[in-house]
Amino acid sequence: MTMNHSSLKLLTASLAAAAASIAVAGAQTIAIQNARVYTMAGAATDPTGGGVNNADVIIRDGVIAGVGQDLPAPPGATVINAQGRVVTPGLFAPWSQIGLVEIGLDDEANDSSTEDDFALSAGLDATDAFNPSSTLIPINRAGGVTRAASAPEPGAKMFGGQGAIVDLSGAPGSINRAQALQSVAMGAAGAGYNGGTRLGAWASLRDALDEARAYAANPGSYLMRPREGGLSIIDLKALGPVARGAQPLVVYLNSATDIRALIKLKAQYGVNAIVLGGTEAHLVARELAAANIPVILNSFLNLPSQFENLAATQTNAARLAAAGVTIAFYDPPSGAHNLRLLPQLAGNAVANGLSYGAALAALTINPARIYGVADRYGSLEIGKAGDVVIWDGDPLEVSTRPIAVLIDGRITSLKNRQTMLRDRYKDLSRGDLPHAYRGAN
Amino acid sequence: MAASLAAIMAVASCGGKGEKAPGGADPTKADKAAEAGAGKAEEKQAADAKPSLWASDPFPSTYAPYPSGTTVIRGATVLTGAGERIENGTVVLADGKIASVGGADVAVPSGAAIVEAKGKWVTPGVIDVHSHLGDYPSPQTESTSDGNEATAPNTAQVWAEHSVWPQDAGFTRALAGGITSLQILPGSANLFGGRSAILKNVPARTVQGMKFPGAPYGVKMACGENPKRVYGEKGGPSTRMANFAGYRAAWIEAADYKKKWEKYWEEKADWDKKNGDKKKPSKKGDDNGKEPEAPTRDLKLETLAMALNGDITVNMHCYRGDEMALVLDMAKEFGYKVQTFHHAVEAYKVADFLAERGVCAAVWADWWGFKLEAYDAIRENAALVDAQANSCAIIHSDDEYGIQRLNQQAGLAMADGNKMGLKIAPERAIKWITAHPAKALRIDGETGTLEPGKMADVVVWNGNPFSVYAKAEKVYVDGALLFDSKDPRRSPRMDFEIGQRSAGFTGGAGQ
Repeated sequence: MTMNHSSLKLLTASLAAAAASIAVAGAQTIAIQNARVYTMAGAATDPTGGGVNNADVIIRDGVIAGVGQDLPAPPGATVINAQGRVVTPGLFAPWSQIGLVEIGLDDEANDSSTEDDFALSAGLDATDAFNPSSTLIPINRAGGVTRAASAPEPGAKMFGGQGAIVDLSGAPGSINRAQALQSVAMGAAGAGYNGGTRLGAWASLRDALDEARAYAANPGSYLMRPREGGLSIIDLKALGPVARGAQPLVVYLNSATDIRALIKLKAQYGVNAIVLGGTEAHLVARELAAANIPVILNSFLNLPSQFENLAATQTNAARLAAAGVTIAFYDPPSGAHNLRLLPQLAGNAVANGLSYGAALAALTINPARIYGVADRYGSLEIGKAGDVVIWDGDPLEVSTRPIAVLIDGRITSLKNRQTMLRDRYKDLSRGDLPHAYRGAN
Repeated sequence: MAASLAAIMAVASCGGKGEKAPGGADPTKADKAAEAGAGKAEEKQAADAKPSLWASDPFPSTYAPYPSGTTVIRGATVLTGAGERIENGTVVLADGKIASVGGADVAVPSGAAIVEAKGKWVTPGVIDVHSHLGDYPSPQTESTSDGNEATAPNTAQVWAEHSVWPQDAGFTRALAGGITSLQILPGSANLFGGRSAILKNVPARTVQGMKFPGAPYGVKMACGENPKRVYGEKGGPSTRMANFAGYRAAWIEAADYKKKWEKYWEEKADWDKKNGDKKKPSKKGDDNGKEPEAPTRDLKLETLAMALNGDITVNMHCYRGDEMALVLDMAKEFGYKVQTFHHAVEAYKVADFLAERGVCAAVWADWWGFKLEAYDAIRENAALVDAQANSCAIIHSDDEYGIQRLNQQAGLAMADGNKMGLKIAPERAIKWITAHPAKALRIDGETGTLEPGKMADVVVWNGNPFSVYAKAEKVYVDGALLFDSKDPRRSPRMDFEIGQRSAGFTGGAGQ
């Protein structure tokens, strides 16, 4: 802590005031001054993260207009003195169901995966159901998450459907890129969809890619073919861009054997494959790096929870990064509710050998690179979206929270359903009116 | 053994002097009976006046501490778990116990192994009150899924220890996270899920070899959604009201069963007195009546009767605050004590009731939203529970990964409390994962704090344990060094993991 409590309060209050004025005025010019800035710019990751003290970030018209030291605040800019605090790009969750799920076990409030023997899979599209009013959005935004991949999960079939890149503004237009990715379950999960073996899963995946190519080559004649139990037309249409390598395919698998099979598939089909899971990826780190396949992993996983996870280790992230694999983090149990805990996954990876810079990159620029949107998101560089977080400490620490979160240059509200419940119940005394009358606005 | 158990039970009440009902009414008779529960058990144990059927354990602990010399850990920041923080502190472990705790001036016994711990932090061993390790072990296959007897709403007759697979690698990972004791609970499908097992986190060939000597059993109960969901289409309960009807019917039956046994014990004692040594054949014509016949044992009712009697702690899985208040009234109705609400996501809404009734609230730092009864979670839950006088806030895991970093989860919860101005110091927050869970398990007479005479269950951390970068460097259980992050020979690896080619690259527990 470099700042005393009252100055922090002052800063928070000024941010709240700024947020209120901006809500009326729309995007405006903001100058964040006197910050320790991690831009996460540049291809090579500095092991320290390359933080620069006493630096400024200028945001104008929703985008980064300047980053550096001693930048003059543009006339009329809202000036935020960060008082030496850390500033990073907004966090980018590389795998989530945000906007698709409100309550995990409540069917009506959960659109994250189809059930039973529902016929369609790859053709599902997250943008049809993405709910920008989900309470999960402001809750995770208050944790510094500004962008996310939101994608349905494999449910009734091995393909999950098309995911989107979204922002966490909560605004109706928060789909940044539709049909940004497809997903498929392989490994033990994939075997479950395909006759109980990995052999079946890989054969089915190849078959689906072949079918998608055949359909794309001649849609008219394809309609005449019998399709007993196979993929529907809408699925084949959706798999077209995947089969030609134009749309990333997120592949859930874990074992070294399955990863080698994926590397082979990529060589054969040219799919833009991304590993999700990858508990044993460290055993094939060099091959993954050579094949340019990124890995989205959970750095906590260190148990032989399945036979495909026998080599699970908390050093997975460090070993992959050392071999040159692009990594990012995800937390499967939380799905979407606790994307705000991604920094804890990163911090634990650091405690197990990952460099600080690589951990910060895994939370910001790497997901943007993985999905091909690094020209817009993931780092503080001129012309990119004004997604900026000011933290009250080391962003990877469990004791740290954002004090300001900007999305597209707008200071967002950190108030959410959880903070409102807290404020309603922090005083349990009976009062003049029931609790239902308190803190609802 | 009986004496040490009595000692445990004597200090077992979780807060709760001058309790008041949620509505503010005076304590009732039933309340007092519940409070007296532990005392009654203690009497029974100490005097051995009654037959010990209920209190005896047919699967007794065979745990014995591993050899240890005298160890002095010095120069560290010590959080005692009893509320103190000592800079440049010294902790002396001897004969498996904490011998002394203090500053730099604590005498170093001759021949002691010295651990120079400048810059490091020392805490009591971490305790998790809610784990399913062993019952849902790794690997998670159908073959090993032994945690939830979801076949009837009341399965109080099952005992978690009979499912515990001591070869679960999860125990080793938890050890590397500083866990020295833990409670294994049956799952939460049922109104009554069965008995818990309280273990020392020391690998053994048998579960008996892990059982915490003298720890009272717990019983697992569940509120709300789970029983409804599991039994809604299988004959019920399908509603929360049927959940309560189910609990109450079972308590009524258990009370009858208890009465029946108490009557038998009384009659038997009378008969024994009249007949002197019962083995001596009675003289002809000396009619002291027929020897009373013992009622037939019923394992389900035995567990519940023991809970009514205070011999077994009640662990109630309950998310919603309003349901917790109902459960507390039910406990009053039947004269038992709820020891701990688990997964108490809405504890902050009724934190005053919980503190008044001396009930612990075991919570996650920030899990939420996976079901509707977990929708109102807030990050300040533990801190707001803790802010009440005489409260008992606990951070629990219910998860084989969470149990590896309860210290971090406590760190998350502490930070959110502090950010709302609650001023929670590390020496206080450490209790959430040490002293308070020990109290909840009624093992606080033996572990949970660094106080002379207690088990030498100690963790040396590489720094502030509430940091994301914190790692346990050394973990002592009863004074024996059982995990050392720098020494692969002090890192257990379970049977399932050895000989697996791909697993041979790190040191087992710390993997």
